[in-house]
Amino acid sequence: MIRVDTRVCLGCMSCSNVCPSQNITRSEIDGKRTVHWKRCKEECDLCVELCPAKALSLVPWDETVPETELSFDLVACKICGSPYATEPMLQRIESTLPAEMQKDARGLEWIRICPVCRRNVEAEGTARQVVLARSRKIA
Amino acid sequence: MTKVLVPTVCPYCGAGCGFYVAAERERAIGIEYMSDHPVSQGALCAKGNAALEILYHPDRLTSPLKRKGEGWARISWPEALDLVAKGLGQARKKHGPRSLAFLSSSKCSNEDNYLMQKLARLLGSPHIDNCARLCHAPSVVGLNKTLGAAGMTNPIPDIASSRCIFIIGSNLAENHPVISRWIHRAKDRGATVIVADPRATPTSWMADVFLQLEPGTDVALLNGMAQVIINEGLIDREYIGLKTKGFEALALEVKDFTPQRTAEITGIAPEDIVRAARAYATSPASAVLYSMGITQHSTGTDNVQAISNLALICGQMGRPGTGVMPLRGQNNVQGACDMGALAEFYPGYKRASDPATLKFFRAAWKAEDLPPGPGLTATEMIEAAGSGEIRAMYIMGEDPANSDPCSEHARRSLESLDFLVVQDIFMTATAQLADVVLPGAVWAEKEGSYTNTERRVQWSHKAIEPPGEARSDREIICDVARSLGLQFDYPDAASVLEEINRTVPQYGGVLRERLEGSSLVWPCPTADHPGTPILHSMGFSLAEGRASIVPVPFSPAAEAASGDHPFILTTGRLAVHHNAGSMTRRSPSLISREPDLYVEMNREDAAALDVEDGDEVRVATVRGETAAYARLTDRLKKGVVFMPIHFPGTNILTTDATDPEARIPEFKVCACNVFRRD
Amino acid sequence: MAVYIDINRCIGCRSCEVACQRVHGGHGHINVHYVREYAAVPVLCHHCQEAGCTMVCFTGALYKEGERTAFDVEKCTGCGLCALACPFGVVWTDKIAHKCDLCQGREAGPACIATCPANALSDDFDLATRRARERTVRAAAVGGKR
Repeated sequence: MIRVDTRVCLGCMSCSNVCPSQNITRSEIDGKRTVHWKRCKEECDLCVELCPAKALSLVPWDETVPETELSFDLVACKICGSPYATEPMLQRIESTLPAEMQKDARGLEWIRICPVCRRNVEAEGTARQVVLARSRKIA
Repeated sequence: MTKVLVPTVCPYCGAGCGFYVAAERERAIGIEYMSDHPVSQGALCAKGNAALEILYHPDRLTSPLKRKGEGWARISWPEALDLVAKGLGQARKKHGPRSLAFLSSSKCSNEDNYLMQKLARLLGSPHIDNCARLCHAPSVVGLNKTLGAAGMTNPIPDIASSRCIFIIGSNLAENHPVISRWIHRAKDRGATVIVADPRATPTSWMADVFLQLEPGTDVALLNGMAQVIINEGLIDREYIGLKTKGFEALALEVKDFTPQRTAEITGIAPEDIVRAARAYATSPASAVLYSMGITQHSTGTDNVQAISNLALICGQMGRPGTGVMPLRGQNNVQGACDMGALAEFYPGYKRASDPATLKFFRAAWKAEDLPPGPGLTATEMIEAAGSGEIRAMYIMGEDPANSDPCSEHARRSLESLDFLVVQDIFMTATAQLADVVLPGAVWAEKEGSYTNTERRVQWSHKAIEPPGEARSDREIICDVARSLGLQFDYPDAASVLEEINRTVPQYGGVLRERLEGSSLVWPCPTADHPGTPILHSMGFSLAEGRASIVPVPFSPAAEAASGDHPFILTTGRLAVHHNAGSMTRRSPSLISREPDLYVEMNREDAAALDVEDGDEVRVATVRGETAAYARLTDRLKKGVVFMPIHFPGTNILTTDATDPEARIPEFKVCACNVFRRD
Repeated sequence: MAVYIDINRCIGCRSCEVACQRVHGGHGHINVHYVREYAAVPVLCHHCQEAGCTMVCFTGALYKEGERTAFDVEKCTGCGLCALACPFGVVWTDKIAHKCDLCQGREAGPACIATCPANALSDDFDLATRRARERTVRAAAVGGKR
């Protein structure tokens, strides 16, 4: 049986992806990600080994213990507002990457914006020179 | 099993890029780029990259079909050919051969087109045409008249040698993307780029001078530029004196097109007109690139002639980096026209009305009688189908129900035919109206020669077999011919090319073996002729070897904005789609990037109508109404809206007013209104 | 090595997107963005020297191999941390991570570079600068007149 340390679970997609027996499910509705660990009698320990937060462990079978379910409200992108990541995952990124990497050349704290907006920001930055030069020419 | 790389020519646009279809175990499994291709150098646009997605599409026609109630019954080839022979044969017997009309395909090979026009004419019908009528007919008519030849005068790579590139009525960055690399090379060498378009596009983004003119005012702009050039003495007197005739009449015609007057008509600032004119005239090598924005007008032929005039008075012709370049849309529209799948021309642009032409082909085809032309054009055929003059039609690889203007009318006309046979790869809107549908092959499933917009003839090889019972178009046309009593013995495409070598002087030296691993640019009259990349360097094949300068008056478009229809609707193309969309709308990579029909509106116009980006609106003209999503933009001036042509719906709105000489409909200008859906 | 963009040349035709998608079984790694409606810019993996994605990858599936940010699919759990650690938003997760691999499997190199009709992409870092310099020299030679 899988025991989940709910204090350290990141709400990532690892265990639900690697479980070979579909005992761990994951769903995302209305900006909320829910992970559900079913009772399992399996001998493998893939989920335990492959959890980035070491939040999982295997304990003896016990029918009386309820199955664990954890929900995370996905954090909203600071630019467009769409929910894109769990808070613990973002904090994990913030604690892993060096501080100087967490702001881009213009001082934007990019970890708190979604990948789509990150691409837009990158595109606008790259195009800036050309847009300026051309506007001067055609205007 | 080894993987084989089969060299083919892209089935989409007229740039004619080459690429390899990788085939393994009789299946096409991938694409490899052809890095030594003279035009693309290995590049391939989004459409080319997605080309394999149509090969195994579930919608592919795999069996001949006959109409059965509201649906279709699969029939055998013998039964299908029997029905076709009866359908065409009976109309011919009861109403005469002139009651038959044939629409050939600018997507099919030269050999397919040659056979189709031969079939039509041997059956006694002069009514054969192809969709060039909807795109570059004015170029065919206009340039034949002014320069004696209709085709791009210089090859695409030559654009890199230009010092001034004038792009008018073309969005080549989206529709002929590989041409962009050559323009950029010219720019890196210091060339000036001028773009004239009512709409700001990725092409105008490359411009040094952007002339945002009102739709339908191209003659005014071109006359205005000519006026500046003549006024400031920037003409090439020597060239005019030696190689042209008609200059004086032009000088008189454009006298009144002062920068002020031109500015009033076109909406372009007078100083920009002057700047563009000077840049074009004074550069050592200037080229004009143009496309639908010039041709798809009721004054299309005039527009083309005005361009030709500009090039001639400045002597920008016949040398590297110069020329007049119609950018042809379909992969083989140039070839289809060269092969005479045209109402007014037999193969090689011999006039259908000339007795000498008929004499030549009677001998070549061992025919007793051949119909003199001109026959009905593609647009007139539809009209005639509706009026009963045409009773039976054979349509190959064309979708007039979607591509023709005023679609409701086109559909009703086709429905009223006694017999309609459609040969295609998908059940298009036109095929839906047929009595018999014949399944054809796509480019990778057959071999043949294709001629791109540069007059470059390339051989495309067969990589895989057609699916199910679909067959190559050559085989189908031959079978239809034989079922009608004609002797069409062509075991392969090469045998048709052999006959083309004998009957089309421009292709005289375009031998099959010379096309292996190489290409030839016509005119190539003999087996040892190297081809003619640059036209008119020695003079013109017109009287006295002189080009004709044909003055053109300015006439506004057929339909003007009015109280009920206050906007001008202009139409055009997108990078990821192609023409009527039968192929691209079925390609997941492409349709996912542009899934819906939309109408581009100026932000202020939209605000006045309380329309926001993404709102569903209705666009209406006197001919009908269509739903579309609004896309707000700064690309258009107030009063002009834009819709892409790739979705059924746009042509419900467009006008069928045509150019009197070339008979091309005015797709680029009509009056419309836009309402919110609610 | 990475794929460098001559931003002056991009025409926004999206050929690179379709090619990348085609070569990678449906998962493309390059996206064309439109800026102010006129300019187009492809956004793709920079193969950063200091790559955030490799730092947060706890299995070592993402790692630096010389200049390239490489990916070993065998080690990937699809956790999604890498996608959040990329400042440019060009790592995706869909059961496993998806990112630009500089077309490792292709003998001829990156498909986007080969396919770009405008010749805007290359593996030559200096190309765009050299072209710009050449243009300036030419413009100066003709007195900057147009």
